[in-house]
Amino acid sequence: MNFLTSFEFSALYLIKIATIVFLLLYLIFALLVIKQVKVMTETLQVGFENQIKALVFFHFLFAVLLLIIFIVFVL
Amino acid sequence: MVDVFVNKEEKILREKGAENKELEKKEQELYEGNLNLESLLNNPKRHDFWGHTHNPLSSFSFIPDSVKFINEDPEEKVLLLLRKHAITNLSWIFVSFLMIILPFFAQVFIPSGFLTHEFQLIIFLIWYLIILAFSLEKFLSWFFHVNIITDERIIEVDFVNLFYREITDANIDQIQDVTVEMGGAIDTFFRFGNVVIQTAAEIPKITFESVPNPDKVARILRELRIQEEKEKLEGRVR
Repeated sequence: MNFLTSFEFSALYLIKIATIVFLLLYLIFALLVIKQVKVMTETLQVGFENQIKALVFFHFLFAVLLLIIFIVFVL
Repeated sequence: MVDVFVNKEEKILREKGAENKELEKKEQELYEGNLNLESLLNNPKRHDFWGHTHNPLSSFSFIPDSVKFINEDPEEKVLLLLRKHAITNLSWIFVSFLMIILPFFAQVFIPSGFLTHEFQLIIFLIWYLIILAFSLEKFLSWFFHVNIITDERIIEVDFVNLFYREITDANIDQIQDVTVEMGGAIDTFFRFGNVVIQTAAEIPKITFESVPNPDKVARILRELRIQEEKEKLEGRVR
């Protein structure tokens, strides 16, 4: 019984570590997307740049928000 | 000049009750390429042309108002902006939809008893973050993968994925052969296909993939080549 509890505990611990690593990597990815969209809009302008920039910025905000929620409520 | 313009021009003239003679003369001018490209681009009625749109998400935009691209010459005029037909996005939209509804079915099969309620919610949100990234990547790749035809050259801007882009261009006078490829039920129904352009440039082949109205694109290219030939003969080279 003790063994099962400690196994569950270490598995949960591992999942938490993996999740936070994933969220940090995702944050870097979201930043890269912002940078890449900036390059794309410099390459081509068709009058929809602001909307696309807003979209990728909200994507980045979503990733930040998720990381904060995870740190505050789960860790 | 080009037949995409002819239909609209014809319609406008008919609506205004113009005489048949005038219409015939205008048509002849357009088909024979006598109409100056400059006058076409500066035509105040260009907003009524067939294929002219103000929708930035359009796949076929004839003489677009506000298109700018990297390394554009100041005197260069964009004649046509093309991207893949919107229907080609259906596959990733369908996959995204399946991914959106998947958690509601997966809850039954995946044991998550040892995770707290908050943690389960986070996992749930991470899944939607992944879907957002997937959809965003597909949308941006579609949106920024464009083919541009100007009065001087053809350009292909290809964003293969978020971190790789490729820009190919060839002058109009370097075009050797234009092939229209259209096959399959969906292509025929929605009228889109490939326009394969053989060039004498460094990159021998430029393909406009799954673009709407490929026949009209080929016709515009043909008219531009004729015009370029004429300019060469007349000794007008910009």
